[in-house]
Amino acid sequence: MLFGALQSGIDGLIEYVSQHTLTCLIPAFFIAGAIAAFVKKEAILKYFGPQTKKYVSYPVASISGLVLAVCSCTILPLFTGIYKKGSGLGPAVTFLFAGPGINILAIIYTAQVLGYDIGIARAVAAIGMSLLVGLIMATLFRGEKHMGEFKLLSSGGDKPKWVILSFFLLLGLILVIGASQLDWLVKLPIVYALTLVVAYLAIYHFERDEITDWGMETWDLTKKILPILLIGTFAVGVLAYFLPPETFAPYLGNNSISANLIASVLGAILYMPTLLEVPIIGTTFGYTTGAMAAGPALALLLAGPTISAPSLVVLARVMGVKKTLTYAVLVVIMSTIAGMIFGSLVG
Amino acid sequence: MRIEVFGTGCAKCKRLEKNVHEALAKSGIKAEVIKIEDIDAITDRGIMVTPALAIDGDVKLMGKVPSVDELVEFFRA
Repeated sequence: MLFGALQSGIDGLIEYVSQHTLTCLIPAFFIAGAIAAFVKKEAILKYFGPQTKKYVSYPVASISGLVLAVCSCTILPLFTGIYKKGSGLGPAVTFLFAGPGINILAIIYTAQVLGYDIGIARAVAAIGMSLLVGLIMATLFRGEKHMGEFKLLSSGGDKPKWVILSFFLLLGLILVIGASQLDWLVKLPIVYALTLVVAYLAIYHFERDEITDWGMETWDLTKKILPILLIGTFAVGVLAYFLPPETFAPYLGNNSISANLIASVLGAILYMPTLLEVPIIGTTFGYTTGAMAAGPALALLLAGPTISAPSLVVLARVMGVKKTLTYAVLVVIMSTIAGMIFGSLVG
Repeated sequence: MRIEVFGTGCAKCKRLEKNVHEALAKSGIKAEVIKIEDIDAITDRGIMVTPALAIDGDVKLMGKVPSVDELVEFFRA
């Protein structure tokens, strides 16, 4: 039995590594590293100031996770900063909810492993629901004001826009072509040629320090996320041996209100390390084999990474127990609604 | 000189601290290095992006890790 469980873990790991790591995760880590190294955070952060108009700060909060929230460790400091020193509770909460759902690694991995429909639905729902949750929180707790200094420093050195644009465009193309269904004989030369162009840009249009930065950021992210993802994926495989996804099918296998609600509550309590939500939903709950329905899968994707029992404890320290519990309840409700909508669209 | 390094323990924050120590050793400048990890204490100083660095109480750097040589120039200025 032990042997069977280990076999199941190894099989799961090999499947994920061979199908997804090389073609999708490695380019994705390089893109995320480039975002962390080259995108000027100040340019976005200035929209979170205390004086910024709310119709600007909310939309910016809902989409800025794409470039600001690559690593979950940056989300909490930024959330605290926006809440206490910047635009206030509403935009801070919007950022907190949307961030994990729309960061570039999460979108790419979700789309690649679970399917493009649910990958896009995750991003769209994260943006829409986060705006609602932020606005509701700001309305419920209006009247409280935080004052303080809101400091931004510019980190000098401007690069021509076309360099940055073509750089990200090329990296994006490598990712898309690498992950596509094209034949290897076609794919390989194209990816190789694109890599050469990236190298040309890196050598002639970037400083040595900037490229070192890029490498460091990419390595930091990989080191932080990949080992846990690999171990987690193995554990998910072992778990599937003892607890086949069919176990959950009666509860999560349809698009009913109760199935979506169960998925949201599970997501709100369970702690899932960055990206591990994907194999958990795909294998443990069996979305890929059809044991889990589309609605609950999306609900879990939305509620899962944004809160967990441990993160709620930290949040309570920052904004108090009452606001934290309200936030948790709102996340569960909104994720359930998003799951219902997606479930009825797909099913 | 009093140098404060702000960071919640992320990889970049650790690298900044390491570079600060190396830059001090390299330049021979005497300074007290204080590490601030508490998220509330960091936000109270108005810092939005970690890692950050303050010299004699003034926040001078945010969200990036300069090389050892850059830091040496920085401390001399």
